[in-house]
Amino acid sequence: MTAIREPKISIDGVTLVHVNEERRQEHVALENVSLDIGEGEFLCVVGPSGCGKSTLLSAIAGFMKPWTGEIRMNGKAIEGPGADRGVVFQEYALLPWKTVLGNVAIGLKYRRVPKAERERLAREYLAMARLTDAADRFPHELSGGMRQRVAVARTLANTPEIMMMDEPFAAVDAQTRLTLQEELLRVWDEHPITVLFVTHSVEEAVFLADRVAVLTPGPGRLREIVDIGIPREIRQWDSISTDARFLELRDHVMKLVRDPGR
Amino acid sequence: MTVQAQPSSKMPRFDPVVIAGLVPFLAVLAAWALAPTLSDIPAYKLPPPEKVWSAFTDMTLDGSLPSEIWASLRRLAAGYVLGNLTAIPLGLAIALNRAVAETMTPVLSFFQSIAGIAWVPLAIIWFGVGQGSVLFVIANTIFFSSIYSTVIGVQLIPRVLYRAALCHGASRLDVVTSVVISGALVQILVGLRTSMAYGWRALVAAEMIAGTNGIGYMTLEAVQWYQTEIVILGMILIGILWLALDFLIFRPIEHVTVRRWGLLA
Repeated sequence: MTAIREPKISIDGVTLVHVNEERRQEHVALENVSLDIGEGEFLCVVGPSGCGKSTLLSAIAGFMKPWTGEIRMNGKAIEGPGADRGVVFQEYALLPWKTVLGNVAIGLKYRRVPKAERERLAREYLAMARLTDAADRFPHELSGGMRQRVAVARTLANTPEIMMMDEPFAAVDAQTRLTLQEELLRVWDEHPITVLFVTHSVEEAVFLADRVAVLTPGPGRLREIVDIGIPREIRQWDSISTDARFLELRDHVMKLVRDPGR
Repeated sequence: MTVQAQPSSKMPRFDPVVIAGLVPFLAVLAAWALAPTLSDIPAYKLPPPEKVWSAFTDMTLDGSLPSEIWASLRRLAAGYVLGNLTAIPLGLAIALNRAVAETMTPVLSFFQSIAGIAWVPLAIIWFGVGQGSVLFVIANTIFFSSIYSTVIGVQLIPRVLYRAALCHGASRLDVVTSVVISGALVQILVGLRTSMAYGWRALVAAEMIAGTNGIGYMTLEAVQWYQTEIVILGMILIGILWLALDFLIFRPIEHVTVRRWGLLA
């Protein structure tokens, strides 16, 4: 079912290099990676720290340029950051001086949507994230989990072509993380969109994804892409955690992550 | 019902923090009041509190004290606006543009060491004794005690906030208005506050040397007539006026901005 999708993002022989200008050092974060992200697909990139997974996300977002190779969206090379590729960051990156409503509406404001319209849309997405009551609060008054729901609402309200999430649930506690994962799938079901989700948690990746791309470190390379054929209906932790396919896929991905095998 | 039923409604409620803060003041006041009986310091060196108080009431009633205070505050306001209106935009430019930073940093560092009353002699030659010199000195002081706060304020903004703005469609101008200015506000406010404190100090000093009126001038002028009570009155007023400015201007601004945003504990 994943094979017939049109690629939304094409990553084509990409090598990404971090340059430290002060120390005049170069560090290859990702080497010769090719990978397509299908239209409407939920793709998780998983790997240990240092495998270049967040760097890959930065390059798709346009925060850095590939050393070699090319990244395209809808067939067009990516030139820089833009509203068509919204990012949800691990650190939430909400504006502390804006209310929850103001934060969710910020992308619409940047895109010059009239005030009344952007407030209406922002409230709609707040309701989706079950944050209606928090609309007038400031980010520092919210828990980590709530802040991340605001960040997701902010990105979705901006209706990008792809939502990219950079270890979004790594900073919240384990219980909240499970809830946020389930909630993300519920929201994704209501608002279908291409998602690139970067995580170091194998369980999280297998739980969420249509496909899991495994990266190995030193420098980062694509090890394997694993299809997760688990039906969407049973993607809740209560039912999935004992599901044989889930356990098998999880162990398989875990093995790939732990044993680079080269 | 007895009168004890609602005793607290009419009782003024004191904030324990305010009371704790008042203790040192009361201790100094008590020591001052008791000094003549405990030692043989002559009254012309240390006049008792009541003499300073009567100088205060006399000079308030004849209008001389309000006019000196007004002269100082007006001057402070002018220097403050002038200094900060140049410091904050230039600070933003330095923080946001590498070429501006590389051009301006050495020359600013050079003049920073000279900022303040070191300019008084040259100011007197340029502008003469009076208004112009004092204004020049305080605007100069305020500029240098504010500009680096703005620069640091921008530098302390987390990088991820810029990225978040850009990937949600912000233009360069949007980034400045929605991220940079608000993000730097904690430090800009620190700069606005410290620059007023330094400006106030410079003002008093400059008035003493190059002024023709104002609290500082009044204080030094009183020395010639051995009016020690006016000297002490001037010093007390300098402190009280500062506390009032801080309390009336900066606390409320902080309260509705950086404190509300959780950027200040």
